[in-house]
Amino acid sequence: MIEVEGLKISYGAAGRLIEAVNEVGFSIDSGDSLALIGPSGCGKTSILFAIAGLVKPDAGNLSIAGERVDGIRRDAALILQNAGLLPWKTVWENANMSLRLSHRYPAENAAAVLEELGLAEFRDRFPAELSEGMKRRVGIARALSISPSVMLMDEPLASLDAITQERIQNLFLELWKQRGFTMVFVTHDIEEAVFLGQRIIVLSKRPAQIKAVVENPQMGELDYRESKEFHRLVIELRAVMQR
Amino acid sequence: MKRSLYTIASIAILFLAWWGASLTLEFARGRPIIPDPWQALVEVGRHGEELGRHFIASAARLGISLVIATLVAVPFGLMVGHERRLDRLITPMIYITYPIPQVVLLPILFIIFGLGDSVRVALISLALFFQILISARGAAKGISEEHLASVLSAGANRFQIYRHVILPASLPAILTSMRVSIGLGMALLYLSETAPMRTTTGLGSFIAKHFFSLDIAFAGVITMAFLGLVLYILLDIVERIVCRWQYVQRRDRPRWPSRLYPNKIREQFLRKIHRTDREG
Ligand SMILES: Nc1ncnc2c1ncn2[C@@H]1O[C@H](COP(=O)(O)OP(=O)(O)OP(=O)(O)O)[C@@H](O)[C@H]1O
Ligand SMILES: [Mg+2]
Repeated sequence: MIEVEGLKISYGAAGRLIEAVNEVGFSIDSGDSLALIGPSGCGKTSILFAIAGLVKPDAGNLSIAGERVDGIRRDAALILQNAGLLPWKTVWENANMSLRLSHRYPAENAAAVLEELGLAEFRDRFPAELSEGMKRRVGIARALSISPSVMLMDEPLASLDAITQERIQNLFLELWKQRGFTMVFVTHDIEEAVFLGQRIIVLSKRPAQIKAVVENPQMGELDYRESKEFHRLVIELRAVMQR
Repeated sequence: MKRSLYTIASIAILFLAWWGASLTLEFARGRPIIPDPWQALVEVGRHGEELGRHFIASAARLGISLVIATLVAVPFGLMVGHERRLDRLITPMIYITYPIPQVVLLPILFIIFGLGDSVRVALISLALFFQILISARGAAKGISEEHLASVLSAGANRFQIYRHVILPASLPAILTSMRVSIGLGMALLYLSETAPMRTTTGLGSFIAKHFFSLDIAFAGVITMAFLGLVLYILLDIVERIVCRWQYVQRRDRPRWPSRLYPNKIREQFLRKIHRTDREG
């Protein structure tokens, strides 16, 4: 369970303070999935980074599994906006990076995950040699390698072509159902939010505040995309966002 | 044409230009001013063994200095570049001390290091240190937030941040500054092997000794140029090993621009798609 209460985040020194997040609160049961959607620059990444322990909030309470968040957690994986791969490391090294940084490599490694994501034969390539979709999958492999119980994702599929986007959305859905991690993801894609988010939180313009919460209990199957309910929610969500 | 052919052509053109200059000067002044390349090469052959000894002495001095300067300047420069408070404290000191020509510190260096080879290495290292330090600092300042967040989010400690992000990201700039500093290193090497630090070994001493028989002196100059070339080649090899990621190309990159556009436009094109690759 993740609990966020009265979260406030701002950047810069006094005088030129940029307020990014203002009084945001929500909670997610473990194993559930939550989408954060909002206009660009509204503070989505800031909220995610606060949950990941990368950004210290000015005010508010954050807890994961009943423990206060203060710093990085070993059971939480973060996938960054552009996969966050290091260009000087090969696929293999990138995928094992999180394990290595927490001294779990080489006792544990990402071989099985790379195999599962169809990346095994590319293990010695550098990110510059991969397509965008493959890079994202390497980022996913890195996150999965630590067997996280919380998966935080910052626009994991932004700027991919539509087909690849859909394919990786399907992958996320299967992985989520298979592995049962709690998923919090940021997106600016309405259909993605409806396809992957059990609950969708719509944020306002900066500083981010919660504008609406849309429940989406029927998600969870690959063919949800073709259903009437899916389209109804997409339309509803679009209307909420344009308000 | 193959790359090695270009290299040979390049050296040949250089020698022809030298020969041309030598002939022109001789014609203008009515007597030989600088030796032509063939004479100098003959002298290289004649003094081969002696030049070999001097080459090794000079190469050792310059090589050791470059290694010492790099080993000290890189960690220091990366830290100054990355740690903001250290930067504020140290950078003014660098800017004040860097413009002082290291040569004016010679008397002090003599007192500390005596009159042997250690003072030569100290002088050259000191000058190279600043060049590499400033590049390393600059490179460490430009690290992308995304790459830092990528390791920080996995719980990297400070050493791991340097080891996995800051150092590898800065290596290309560090190697470039090492290459640039070879020129300065050569100048100081020559200075440190001639008066007032005259010795009996090293290419500088050989050139100075034969100052009035230019054919032989130029044999020394050629050998010095060769030393520079060897160092550049070594640094290229090191770069290809430690920055291997910079030499890969996306394998499915389109080929057609090479046939349709001249090289310059093609390069711009490739750079552009490379950038969009990176930024997604
Ligand atoms: N380190 C920082 N220093 C100063 N300002 C920052 C910093 N990080 C973010 N901001 C500002 O805070 C605001 C919210 O940023 P944030 O990255 O959380 O938004 P976002 O919703 O993720 O944006 P995007 O859609 O571009 O990803 C922005 O106006 C941004 O300029
Ligand atoms: Mg963002």
